[in-house]
Amino acid sequence: MKKMTILLFALLSATARADTIEMKVNGLVCGFCAQGIDKTLRRNPATADVLVSLEHKLVAVSTREGQDISDAELTKALTDSGYDVKSITRTRRSLEAIRAEIGQAPR
Amino acid sequence: MNLFNFALACFVLAGATSLAQAKPIAFSHGTTVMAEYGAGTMVEAQLFYAPKYFYSVGGGYLALESDIDHRRREITYARANYLVKRWNMEAAQANVFVWGGAGQAYVSESNDHTFAWNAGAQVDYETRRIYSSLKTDFHRSSQFEHRVDTLQLGVAPYEHDFDTLATWFVVQARNYTGGLHDGTEWALLLRLFKRGAWVEAGLTDDGKLQAMAMVNF
Repeated sequence: MKKMTILLFALLSATARADTIEMKVNGLVCGFCAQGIDKTLRRNPATADVLVSLEHKLVAVSTREGQDISDAELTKALTDSGYDVKSITRTRRSLEAIRAEIGQAPR
Repeated sequence: MNLFNFALACFVLAGATSLAQAKPIAFSHGTTVMAEYGAGTMVEAQLFYAPKYFYSVGGGYLALESDIDHRRREITYARANYLVKRWNMEAAQANVFVWGGAGQAYVSESNDHTFAWNAGAQVDYETRRIYSSLKTDFHRSSQFEHRVDTLQLGVAPYEHDFDTLATWFVVQARNYTGGLHDGTEWALLLRLFKRGAWVEAGLTDDGKLQAMAMVNF
């Protein structure tokens, strides 16, 4: 029973502290205009890296180890950049894996 | 039909209009610096800071010189820009901006400096392949009154992404009121931008240079 509890706790912790946050964003059509997203998200001390894809209408953020950015903070960052967030998903995929999947050059 | 009416007609026909010129507001805590050379009739430089994504404040310098009789105005102004409405669609964005400001103008005929105010509006609609914008900029003092209307329609030969160079071919039509230029001035422009740097250049139907550069940071 104790092992089961530890396993469940570890699973929940892993889910709660996801490495990468993916956001579907409306209005992403201009790289010049979208740079505010990159700059705003990078100002957050919990941010490790940011990916913006106009083609996939995607903004993804990887967080520093043991840190997280709340949905409210992410939504505010995107709103302050002038965009609308349609969905927020937390995943264990690395940002580099997403870059490779969508064909974006590594930074 | 003058250019402004023509542009409005295009807007209605298209069902939407867009002004994808230099947007006067970059993003929250962003700074925009812009300089434009308008075929010898106008030169403008602007610097704006946006405390929020929906408004910015700053100032600019605008020189207008008539290519008919060489009357000249040099206007230095403080200005506030406001994003009235933004539509963020899945594969497009549209905006409505307005602005207003005041400053001082030098008038060559009287060799005098006078108070001047300005107001304007811009609408734009763009996808990753098409771009359109309509802008009107009005300047008035006790000694002059000018409006500069600019319509731009652009097409991209490929869809750029955030980290790649964007290339646009743009047709621009511009109309000046107040005796600055006779008729509508047409220009063909090549626009390039990547990240926070934007340059465009081309020629007018008179063979004159039309160019603009802008940075956001």
